[in-house]
Amino acid sequence: MSETVSITIDGRTVAVPAGQLLIKAAEDAGTYIPRFCWHSRMKPVGMCRMCLIEVEGPRGTLLTTSCTMPVTEGMVVHTKSEVVRKAQEGVLEFLLINHPLDCPVCDRGGECPLQDQTLAHGPGESRFVEEKRHFPKPIPINDLVLLDRERCILCARCTRFSEEISGDPLIEFVDRGNHTQVNTFPDEPFASYFSGNTVQICPVGALTATPYRFRARPWDLEAVESTCAGCAVGCRVSVQAAQNEVVRLLGVDVGATNQGWLCDKGRFGFEYLRAPGRLSTPLVRGEDGELREATWGEALDRAASGLAAVLSEHGPAAIAGIGGARSTNEEAYAFGKLLRSVIGTGSLDARVGDGLDAALAVGGTGRIDDLERAKTILVWAPDLKEELPVLHLRVRRAATELGATLIVVHPRRTGLDPDADHVVHYRPGDGFSVLDRLRAGADDLAPVAAALAAGPVVAIVGRTGLTEPPDLASAVAEFAASLPGAAVLPVTRRGNLYGALDMGLAPTLLPGRASAEDEAARAALADAWGSPVPAPGRDADGILQGLADGSVKALVLLGADPAADHPDRASAEAAVAAAGFVVSFDLFLNDSNRGADVVLPVEGFSEVEGTMTNLEGRVQKVNRIVPGPGLSRPAVEALDDLAARLGRSLGGGADAMAKEIALAAPAYAGITWEALDWGRGRDGMIATLAGGAAAPAPAVFQRSVAPAEGMALHLARVLYDEGTMTLAGPAFAPLIKAAMLHLHSDDATRLGLAEGSTAVLTGSRGSTELAWTRDDSLAPGTAYLPFGLGVSVGAAVSVTVAPGDGSGER
Amino acid sequence: MSWDSDTRARAEEIIVRYPQRRSAVMPLLYLAMAADGKLTDEGMREVAEHTGMTPAQVYSVASFYSMYKRELGEHLVSVCRSVSCHLLGGDDVLAAVVDETGIRPGQTGAITVEAVECVGACGGAPAVQVDYELVEGVSPAQARALCRWLLDERPGFVIGDDLQARFGGQRSFDWGPAEPVGALGPVPAFEPYGTTGGGA
Repeated sequence: MSETVSITIDGRTVAVPAGQLLIKAAEDAGTYIPRFCWHSRMKPVGMCRMCLIEVEGPRGTLLTTSCTMPVTEGMVVHTKSEVVRKAQEGVLEFLLINHPLDCPVCDRGGECPLQDQTLAHGPGESRFVEEKRHFPKPIPINDLVLLDRERCILCARCTRFSEEISGDPLIEFVDRGNHTQVNTFPDEPFASYFSGNTVQICPVGALTATPYRFRARPWDLEAVESTCAGCAVGCRVSVQAAQNEVVRLLGVDVGATNQGWLCDKGRFGFEYLRAPGRLSTPLVRGEDGELREATWGEALDRAASGLAAVLSEHGPAAIAGIGGARSTNEEAYAFGKLLRSVIGTGSLDARVGDGLDAALAVGGTGRIDDLERAKTILVWAPDLKEELPVLHLRVRRAATELGATLIVVHPRRTGLDPDADHVVHYRPGDGFSVLDRLRAGADDLAPVAAALAAGPVVAIVGRTGLTEPPDLASAVAEFAASLPGAAVLPVTRRGNLYGALDMGLAPTLLPGRASAEDEAARAALADAWGSPVPAPGRDADGILQGLADGSVKALVLLGADPAADHPDRASAEAAVAAAGFVVSFDLFLNDSNRGADVVLPVEGFSEVEGTMTNLEGRVQKVNRIVPGPGLSRPAVEALDDLAARLGRSLGGGADAMAKEIALAAPAYAGITWEALDWGRGRDGMIATLAGGAAAPAPAVFQRSVAPAEGMALHLARVLYDEGTMTLAGPAFAPLIKAAMLHLHSDDATRLGLAEGSTAVLTGSRGSTELAWTRDDSLAPGTAYLPFGLGVSVGAAVSVTVAPGDGSGER
Repeated sequence: MSWDSDTRARAEEIIVRYPQRRSAVMPLLYLAMAADGKLTDEGMREVAEHTGMTPAQVYSVASFYSMYKRELGEHLVSVCRSVSCHLLGGDDVLAAVVDETGIRPGQTGAITVEAVECVGACGGAPAVQVDYELVEGVSPAQARALCRWLLDERPGFVIGDDLQARFGGQRSFDWGPAEPVGALGPVPAFEPYGTTGGGA
């Protein structure tokens, strides 16, 4: 797009990129042409006629829609002539024929493009005296979005979004003429993970979201730009609050990450902040063994004395910390400093047995934006639609709009399969042999191998499921790095896992991606901290093991729930229960801290200021707009107070931590709050490895294999699981589906499972009876169970399935 | 109430005539109507499955075109009310049909009655179609007789030439050789739909 042409808009000659649409070129040049149907991230349709302008041509001056007209050299355009004014008035008079003008009771009133443009360009009065058309007032098109067809002006933004962008065209125009309306198929709701975007792009009040409906008026809202913490994509959002409560999130159009879109979980997930179970007071375990409310002073004293007792009796190695992957970088850094410097333990981890190898996670070489230029895309990762939904949209755009060849490798069908050029489904455990055959370009994989030879290649690599050991992802990443023009994006879901690892929340990593095994790096950090830095201790699995066998006595949790999140829930739960002393910093009581000795209520998303690092290493600012409930405090302050009681302060609050990170973590040098707020606020700043510092090399791969007999278990997350964010937010309650066992038809027949019956799934940690369904995208011999829906049989790959008799059905 | 193997085979036969599966949506909607006697949600789901579209997309197409009907009687009587037929008494023909059957345009009883725009028979106005089989030069009295016959005799199929001979008047031109087959029900007679009937 380096070529430019010069055009004249209202007498002003400007240079604009050749081939660009006139409406966009004019907007960039400072002339806003009114529009309803045109959206910069979707294809033009020229339906609403609002963007009519005059273009001079050989046959005279013509009224034309600027959203469908590419600019050409010497084009002369009039956007404010009398003819244009009359056309705009006519179009608006027409669009308002059926519009109810119920602005005073409409959510959109005050920020409505139809309202605003009618004021600016409308005729002021209408000649239509006929009865307007009537529909029943809003109908739900799914559990989150309501449609008021009387307000709709039929611009097709929502229907085009569902087809072009999200790829689930479940809303369409139905009927015709004066009866034309947007609707779903009868009894088939707009079941999309992205439906909230249609509410945001609706240029009238036809689509409204249940969580925000009637909650506030736009002019009463306070807004701050921030970063969504729901997953590791790091979508930019505008957080909007009324009366000290967050009431909605809007996507901000940042080219590098979300391009304006959000998933519904991110958009509507804020409700958990004010959910009934939210902690507002410190809790300590009383004489009677029950948690009771306490003051901060009492709770911190208890936490400090409990930890000090373990320290003096068993030494620092008996204390470990898990968490930080949902916290800000500043909180994660303070947590790491408390554990390593004040307590002196090297056992700390932000992953909960479900992450990637730390070296892989921090060793990514790609950017999300590389997808825009990719020739070939390899996705050997979790189902992006379920775990990193907006990254799914970016990959989908690259495959459907930009012509990239898409290869998906996964144990079962993923959201990207319909748009993929090559799909490889394999049995969990067979990943290494698939990789070997791909490397060799063997037989059936020859076309895939050939496609991978065409670069630049973007490889999105992660654990396809929780039974898959992280070694496979590391091996795939190593292979992908050898592909032409390769950019590797290592992916896992949890919000700020990448930031937490960058802050040193892994036994092998120090802040700034330095190796904890490197004596010199430890010495340098010890200098900065003024205290010794311990050698690497245990990772999350090792910590849980240690708790179970008694070698670890005390556990500090920062926004972590290993008992629910660890792939092997039963053993994680037993391990946490066996801990002698547990301190938890959290927003809620959960499976891991219900038995804790001290629970400290901390502030969460939109309540604290700080930074987060997304899966590509992009550091972005998160901002505060509301206070936390009750006595909850920022985690950094609580950690600092605990540190002070253990003998040494961490050195201040979040702003002080931010300054310290820039010094202690080489990759974060120069990334300051000021720079993010004022200079690079929208796009964030990429934390790059400053020369010298190096992540530890990948371990020798442990080649997992599929079980020779029985079934191989595929255990993977779904978007709406029974996590804190979804369970606590009322919006999601109807969207959480009961866990179902998925089996290939051949296996169902072989095992003698009758249609509509139940199956008994037996794994390493017990057995459960549940409903089953056919899923022929699985390789025969595979059982798929969604993770995080309350059913757990352990995380071993080998399981057995037998017909159930209904006795143990959940 | 999903499609039987015969209907599925017919669907595939239709689909292969098009460069893309989804291009077959309109003929498949007729096939769905032929299979169920009217357009049902289930039929639209089947069309969606066969064309790779979502049910909402199929519904969008089906609800745009007036010939895809959610309610249908045994036969469909379409009375033309465009210019030529209007000038030559089409409105009286329609009134006669409504009076004889007691069914208003757009409504369904034992049969379905509708007023339609031009059926391409201006030379033989006023014109009526029964199950898309054409009858020209129809007088109000002939229209009454036609409706009576449909309601009383309940013919299994109708053939245009036969209707013309019994109930028609002035024809636009000689239609050429007699058609051997007619329509089995209120869907256009077309072999791939399995809606042709009455052949020797």
